[in-house]
Amino acid sequence: MSDYAISVKHVSKKFKLFHEKRDSIYESAAGFFQKKRHSEVLQTLDDISFNVKHGEIFGIIGRNGDGKTTLLRIISKIYSADSGSVDVKGRVIPVLSLGLGFHPELTAVSNIYQSSILLGFKKEDISKRISEIIKFAELERFADTKIKNFSAGMQMRLAFATSVLVDPDILILDEVFAVGDLNFQKKCFDTIMSFKKRGKAIIFVSHDMTPIRNFCDTVMFLKEGKVGKIGSPEESIAAYVDYLAKHPEINPKENLSNSI
Amino acid sequence: MTSIREEMWKTRGILFNFAMSDLKIRYRNSILGVLWSFVEPLLLLTVLFVVFSTMFKFEIPNFPIYLLLGIITWNFFKNGTTIALNSLTNRSALITQIYFPRSIPGLSAGITAAIMLIFELVVLGIFMAAFQFTPSVTILLLPLILGLQLLLVLGVALPLSVLNVKFKDTEFIWGVVVHAGFFLTPIFYQFDMLPQAIQDVLQFSPMVQILTMAHHVVLYGILPSVNTVLYSVGSILGITAIGYLIFRKYQARIAEEM
Repeated sequence: MSDYAISVKHVSKKFKLFHEKRDSIYESAAGFFQKKRHSEVLQTLDDISFNVKHGEIFGIIGRNGDGKTTLLRIISKIYSADSGSVDVKGRVIPVLSLGLGFHPELTAVSNIYQSSILLGFKKEDISKRISEIIKFAELERFADTKIKNFSAGMQMRLAFATSVLVDPDILILDEVFAVGDLNFQKKCFDTIMSFKKRGKAIIFVSHDMTPIRNFCDTVMFLKEGKVGKIGSPEESIAAYVDYLAKHPEINPKENLSNSI
Repeated sequence: MTSIREEMWKTRGILFNFAMSDLKIRYRNSILGVLWSFVEPLLLLTVLFVVFSTMFKFEIPNFPIYLLLGIITWNFFKNGTTIALNSLTNRSALITQIYFPRSIPGLSAGITAAIMLIFELVVLGIFMAAFQFTPSVTILLLPLILGLQLLLVLGVALPLSVLNVKFKDTEFIWGVVVHAGFFLTPIFYQFDMLPQAIQDVLQFSPMVQILTMAHHVVLYGILPSVNTVLYSVGSILGITAIGYLIFRKYQARIAEEM
């Protein structure tokens, strides 16, 4: 047994890129008789292997569409890999694209219950922490407001507060600081550092190189679905910048925030 | 890796929670709120009752009760399966953002329908009192029959929830099946009014068997025959097993199809 918190071995994932997606029985049947190819295969992840230790903040950088979110979804079991294995020790909370799957018609409190129960936490444990979560998210006045009336920043704060306060063993953060004011951002980083001190593993994805450089212990650069570089933040960021420089057709602004 | 069945069993406690929030969303923002879950079946059953008892004057003893029992039993099947149909497609945010057992929405749709059934049974009780109808003591077997029906509902709901993600027209096909089923099940007529040839085919429908048993125990004080019980239990277990296999085939890739 390894003592890694997350161990990813030779993970590959293909997607079918549909030019005309067949998602009805009729289309599937009709398409069966046509010779025309309606999809091509997109190798989103190709033989990815890495390990994350307990108490390590592991950064992932790379261009849009090079597989970062797909990889995070595979680690959090939302997608299944075509080949390879993912071994995760403990409970994972993924905070992907601004939410924890909140339902717009349920209140903040109901959503905290629903998402964390689905993630496998006990109702009694959540009840004990619910007021703390609301307080952390600075949403005291909105506890019984429906999520559909929340701004993106409020949803993000709620998602982050829920994910850290139910105390998972592994936290996955995808571009979470795009919204949220400076004050909240600081609170988030403090929390992340205290998680690290308590030996929890964190995977952190961002296009903003400042937090990657300041907080991550190890950084992986994902290059077109392959491992471009695993190393110290400086090494991996250098590899990434180098790659962008060699490919001038890629708009650097789109893939790298100002702070390089 | 835990197996899908283990995972389903472990998370059984979540189903009720999930079903309750389903009901909350269903009657969201309405003035009558939860009261709707009681008023809606009352009004619907009254309409159906007026229509069928004035237009079809069959010589069925205690026709109002016969009819209502049929409609309620059918509604349980219809509600459970149609709620399940969109239970995954309606939750694309949840499914693409966190992992949880994909069986929960489909199965909890069955629980939601069971809660709705309880409200409708209260309405049935009201109608029984209004028509001064005293059921036979065999009515005590009704919960067992409805329990068996719950297994059927879950067994159909589970595969429908994933099939509707994979094939978007499942929804339309199932809509037709449910409509046809309403007329092919002895709800507003008696089964033996049908031509023998049709009876020979329709008797294989588990819903026909369920409804026949329900009518027997509530209205006539007749215990279901051993053959009926064996056949319905067997066929429902078979359907549930097939449903589980379909679910298992498609469940892993649900998030990618969203």
